[in-house]
Amino acid sequence: MAKPGLAVIGIAEVATCRDPERTRWDILLDVCMGAIRDAGIDKNDVGAVISNNPMAQPAMQNDMSLGKIPEVMGLKGCRDIAICNAGGASTTNCLRLAEQHIASGQVDFVLVPHTTVQSDMPPQDLINFFATAPLDKQFEYPYGVSFNGSMGLITQRYLYETGATEEELAAVTVALRAWGALDPRSIFYGKPVTLEDVMNSRMISTPLKAKECNLLADGGGAMIVTSHEKAKEFGEKAVYKLGHGTRFMSATPMLREDVFHRQSYRESSADALAQAGLSIDDMDLRQIYGAYPYTQCSALEGYGVCEEGQGARLWAEGRCGPGGDIPCTTMGDATGRGHSGSGVSMAFYLDTVRQLRGESEERQVANCEHAILTTSGGSVMNTCTTVFGRAMR
Amino acid sequence: MSDYKKPLPEIQPFSQAFWDGTREHKLLIQHCGDCGANIFYPRRDCPECWSQNLGWIEAGGRAVVYTYSVTYEGVEEKFADDLPIILAWIDLPEGIRMHTNLLECEPEEVHIGMEVEVIYKQVTEEITLPYFRPVAS
Repeated sequence: MAKPGLAVIGIAEVATCRDPERTRWDILLDVCMGAIRDAGIDKNDVGAVISNNPMAQPAMQNDMSLGKIPEVMGLKGCRDIAICNAGGASTTNCLRLAEQHIASGQVDFVLVPHTTVQSDMPPQDLINFFATAPLDKQFEYPYGVSFNGSMGLITQRYLYETGATEEELAAVTVALRAWGALDPRSIFYGKPVTLEDVMNSRMISTPLKAKECNLLADGGGAMIVTSHEKAKEFGEKAVYKLGHGTRFMSATPMLREDVFHRQSYRESSADALAQAGLSIDDMDLRQIYGAYPYTQCSALEGYGVCEEGQGARLWAEGRCGPGGDIPCTTMGDATGRGHSGSGVSMAFYLDTVRQLRGESEERQVANCEHAILTTSGGSVMNTCTTVFGRAMR
Repeated sequence: MSDYKKPLPEIQPFSQAFWDGTREHKLLIQHCGDCGANIFYPRRDCPECWSQNLGWIEAGGRAVVYTYSVTYEGVEEKFADDLPIILAWIDLPEGIRMHTNLLECEPEEVHIGMEVEVIYKQVTEEITLPYFRPVAS
């Protein structure tokens, strides 16, 4: 018997924005109902709800963990619920758990939702959250490290080892913002930046400037997933998960031997591609969720798209942005779209589905048949790499 | 000293010796008596071999800057008076990488590969934090 596999057949998203008037539940209901409607299934066909844990949103975490979604929405066919928390890699883990429900043969359709509102939280609380949750409270936090500072440390070393310049690194943000400027779901829709804009923005933690850091925002998204076999009934709406691989490095950045995650990107992508029976050259789109620009470079080096140390140059040559021959991260990443907490990974999956369906309008990658997507959680504790395709293999 | 408002390290029973050491101006590194691993940060069990036969060695106090980042903004208000803050990861010859701040130097002096040495700042009766500064040339 063929493996059941996993396919996405319905999606919905609330654009990344800052709108403190809009509640978490308002976003959540819109995306859940939207994904069910997009799939064209009955609400009572949803057999399980596996939620992405919204970081630093304790009331919402409790609601999602303890079953409010099927109750509020009247999902009468729901057999069970759970919440997955692996920070930015939460959505990836939701999909793995959903796959297990589907493989059981007892559930056909799983709803995977996310919602986050950060615009109603005091900035000091958010800085504290990002400085304490993913960093060490004994040996890092007392030294005034912020999350930007932690990523600044890695970025400085990346520039030193590769010889990439701050301008080349800034070109990554220019390209990510160019994708975001074309995307109505980005907080930066219609707002591209120039190299000078990035280079002249305020210095936050060297070498990272303000435009290279993340703007914390609100957002939400949801997917309906099913088996490969069942997905065939949904025609061109279906996008197929073809392969998957992961590697864990460390919780604490300073303890990471694989500082730029190259080996982790290399091994997780090799596993995912082998499972899919495809090579990196078969990928039409590379979606990299690292939240900071150096990851957009080191991931390409790890995937084997270019040699070690050459990633920033590809971006600086304009090859990865709109119109380039190696389109990467059309989703914009957190720097080009806004950071909706653990929802950044959700938005990455949704953007990948849209590209493979051919629904990305101005950002559409031509003939997009296959895409590779890596998400990471915490302070890039891991790399979770998935290959998706427009057709089942 | 009691008016220190910045976060203090969350000490664990098995890291207490490290902080007892800094109070006496000693930089202690946890050492596994069975497999010989030097361990940072301190754990209850050796992460290499799960031995609980763990002791301490005193580090020489010298290190080399592996990387650094100068933070100009975006920290909690309790750190605001310290800006700019020079964050650094430093490599000790004992095979340990630590996160610290570089003190007694200007941001433009800092570079990867720079030799640094430990200094101590007592911040409360209980806690003395280790920092690093450039080795005088």
